[in-house]
Amino acid sequence: MIVSWDWLTDYVDLKMDHDDLVDRLTMSGLNHEGTEIVGADKAIDLEVTSNRPDCLGHIGVAREISVLYDTPMKLQFPQPPAGGKLIDDLCSVEIKSKNCFRYTARLIQGVKIGPSPDWLKDRLATIGVDSINNVVDATNYVMFEIGQPLHAFDFAKISGGKIIVRDAKKDESFVAIDHKTYSLDADMCVVADANDAAAIGGVMGGTDSEVTDSTTEVLIEAAYFDQLSVRRTARRLTLQSPSSFRFERNIDSQMLDWASRRCCELILEIAGGTLVDGCVDVGQRPPQPPVLTLRYGQLERLLGIEIPTSATNKILSDLGLNIQTIQDDAVVVEAPSWRKDLTREADLVEEVGRIYGFDKVPDDASVPMAASYRPKSDRALDRVQSVLLAAGFDEAMTPSLVPEPWSKAFSPWTDHPPLKSSQPMLGVLEKASHNIGAVDLLRRSLVPSLLEAYRINEFRSNSDIELFETAKVYLPTQGQPIPNQPLKVGLVSGRDFFFVKGIVETIVGSLSPQTQLTLEATEHGLLDPDRSGQWVIGGATLGWIGRASQAAKKLFRLRSDAVVVELDFQLLEDSMVAIAQHENQSAFQSVSRDFNFIVENSVPWDALERTVRKTGGMLLEAVDFREVFRDETKDGKTKKRILLSVTLRSGDSTLTGKEVDVVCQSIISGCEKEHAAMLLN
Amino acid sequence: MSPPAMPLAKFVQTLELLTEEAQNSFAQASDADQLDESRVEFLGAKKGRLKLIQKDLAGIENSEKPAAGKSLNATKQAIQQAFDEAKKRLLGDQDKVVRDPKFDATLPGTKFRMGKLHPITQTINELKDIMGRLGFTPAQGPEVEDDYHNFQALNIPMSHPARDPLDNFYLSVAGKHSGAVAAGEEDNPTLMRSQTSTVQIREMERIDPPIRMVSLGRVYRPDTADWSHYPMFHQIEGLMIDKSVTLADLKTVLKLFATSYLGDEVPIRIRPSFFPFTEPSVEADYYWDGKWVEFGGAGIVDPNVLKSVGYDPEKYSGFAFGLGIERLCMIRHQITDIRYLFTNDVRFLRQF
Repeated sequence: MIVSWDWLTDYVDLKMDHDDLVDRLTMSGLNHEGTEIVGADKAIDLEVTSNRPDCLGHIGVAREISVLYDTPMKLQFPQPPAGGKLIDDLCSVEIKSKNCFRYTARLIQGVKIGPSPDWLKDRLATIGVDSINNVVDATNYVMFEIGQPLHAFDFAKISGGKIIVRDAKKDESFVAIDHKTYSLDADMCVVADANDAAAIGGVMGGTDSEVTDSTTEVLIEAAYFDQLSVRRTARRLTLQSPSSFRFERNIDSQMLDWASRRCCELILEIAGGTLVDGCVDVGQRPPQPPVLTLRYGQLERLLGIEIPTSATNKILSDLGLNIQTIQDDAVVVEAPSWRKDLTREADLVEEVGRIYGFDKVPDDASVPMAASYRPKSDRALDRVQSVLLAAGFDEAMTPSLVPEPWSKAFSPWTDHPPLKSSQPMLGVLEKASHNIGAVDLLRRSLVPSLLEAYRINEFRSNSDIELFETAKVYLPTQGQPIPNQPLKVGLVSGRDFFFVKGIVETIVGSLSPQTQLTLEATEHGLLDPDRSGQWVIGGATLGWIGRASQAAKKLFRLRSDAVVVELDFQLLEDSMVAIAQHENQSAFQSVSRDFNFIVENSVPWDALERTVRKTGGMLLEAVDFREVFRDETKDGKTKKRILLSVTLRSGDSTLTGKEVDVVCQSIISGCEKEHAAMLLN
Repeated sequence: MSPPAMPLAKFVQTLELLTEEAQNSFAQASDADQLDESRVEFLGAKKGRLKLIQKDLAGIENSEKPAAGKSLNATKQAIQQAFDEAKKRLLGDQDKVVRDPKFDATLPGTKFRMGKLHPITQTINELKDIMGRLGFTPAQGPEVEDDYHNFQALNIPMSHPARDPLDNFYLSVAGKHSGAVAAGEEDNPTLMRSQTSTVQIREMERIDPPIRMVSLGRVYRPDTADWSHYPMFHQIEGLMIDKSVTLADLKTVLKLFATSYLGDEVPIRIRPSFFPFTEPSVEADYYWDGKWVEFGGAGIVDPNVLKSVGYDPEKYSGFAFGLGIERLCMIRHQITDIRYLFTNDVRFLRQF
């Protein structure tokens, strides 16, 4: 809301300087956003919160100043002189729409349309409003004075002198004063005569009934339209105006008559004519303002400062609250009609506090100490992040909504269709991905978003593209309105499959060294059928790893190979050993032995390793994979050689050669029995 | 089975012979490899000749064993000495400082690349840390919320502009034909949460006072992305509820928070504002670099909010405050476009 310094002086003396004024206003709730010099005047821009529509007029701001500076308001009740004819003989109003609560009309005959006087033009110019003609300017002026929107119709264009406030017909066409044609719907409210709509209620007038140079009779509308209806209409038609802005924030229906009189008074003064006697006033009467009790003790209980009772009473009274009774420990007041936001005791606490001054609230209260806890999930996340950072992965953050092709590309956690947003996210895709589709599906996997991030980096010739993200995915569940929203850890990397695999193994190991992690075969179109797998911990799925398939590379336009991973964070957290427990470490030397086994290609490493572990017995400390190689000329095409090392150690003595030989023999015969493994010497 | 008996004289003779052979062998070695071969032959730990001869000790008469042992030790020393001399001859004195003119210590070290946490995460961690020291424990809540927790329980009436369908990501199940039914009950549709205040409600529904919690996370509003807007961003929200929590407590905590965050004692001020879920509502500013900088919104929890979670507003009071993380993060790192945060260019990410 921009207010004119000069204009404010009509209602309150401004003896303070500008900086002091805007500072006091800021500190009492009207945040100063800037001031511009316009001619001899100052345009002061104040931020008005949505609960204070009363400050969307100069009078409202002046009231605040009058309270802050303890200086009286100068406000008169407008009493424009009226002529002989009776309005009821000339004009009638009927409300047929539930979106109009009250409608008042006054009629002025014999006006002379022309330019506004300079003082009026200047004030409108200060607040950035164009001057149209004296009548239209008068309606605007009063709106910016009291906050009540008004509209002037050329009464000659209102067929039969009858105003009908009704819902628009479906697809009813309407030409507004901006000369554009709008298609209306049944949720919109129009002000019509017997035939056509003359205005969209509270939003904009029409060209047909517009006040022009030839207009001689004007009907002044001061009405109360429903805030939600006005907002919906203005938004759907993109016709936001100072009028709709005020209706959206709700107006003071008690002031309709004041505003109507004031507007007529001004028109008579600057455009001449005669005011027809009386006023058409139909619809609901304003409700009785609520009676509120403020217990003085609540001020200290909630604000933490003591405010003298006399100061409290004076503030309430200055703000226009009507003090009904003063008790020992409480005051009973009635709120003024323009303060619809004051309905409860808590609202009065705020009023007294803000005028008394929040600067008097101390910032060195003794707040008691309290213990706080780091959640287990934070601790687990720390460990996961530590591994990833050490491995050179940078953390990414990608939007939670994705376009359909990405959503379809990979959804390992659920087969349920994704949730869809009523609105897409706009402007979140890089130019190269603009035609991929609307970004309106809640993602079920982090992988597609990370592949897009990979593509962007690849396109920008970045090297070492290794990214991870920890974020929620949204998995719809049957019969539950709120989806399951587990946290996942996603990875994308340009390094090879086993490097990335090793990172996952390290993550799991860092959380719990004892956890058995296995990789099982999996099938996903996004993943290479060989270089992929499904991670399993204790029968539960931890996640997936895989190199992006040819199809994935095509969909995400990747030039190089990328390996992706997605892990369930909850399972990682559940597996975490929060506080590691000590085990005695043997003080004796270990013994290492290498084994070079020839086995069929179909024997996987992990099966062989299991056998070695099983047959190695108590003395086995570690089994390490060394390498796999093939010698087709010696072993044939179906065989491979696996070289592995075992480390043996005893807790109570140095191992003897004999003990070592026994273990080695057990391993060799075990592998031979279970995998037909042949030891190469 | 005991080894065959051996006379002492023969044992000593064998040792003398071995000493001589070893001394010759070490003396003749012309490089380190040759020397090492000789070392293995004579001094090898398993099959070295000295080791083998040592086994004969078992065959010596007990009465002669001390003399035999003495002789063996002398042999050991002599061979070792011969080896050390040869080694010194071939490799130089180990204790002497040898300069290597080819070595350049200023060549770059072998770097390993550490990853970086996202600047938003770094900011969140910093704030979480500060709040933790002030006794606030992190709490979590769902990002897809229902209307009740996002609006109704927070005292945001139907008429409030924040509830406009165009200003929220309301949800339905994809794949249904046009006019798809909104997910959730008709009067309680689901949406991407537009503020982290929802976690306040969830937490107060879960536990009884006293409460000191801090919630952090993603929130969503359908603004078109530009340099200062993004349809997804992060908020931090603090909540404290107890028997007599006041605006003075709020101002005190905010001051401690700002001072910790900025690393220096800063003046703060609170000025009236409006949020449906607090009454009074305030904006907090801190004074930095000669001007007041907006910190975030705060206030005393509205009695309607307390009632909606079954707390008695006559018995309990509390404060809540919320800050936008992106703004703090961007000021902190001088990031000029919010979209950089979500493009994930690794060169951008590695700066922080």
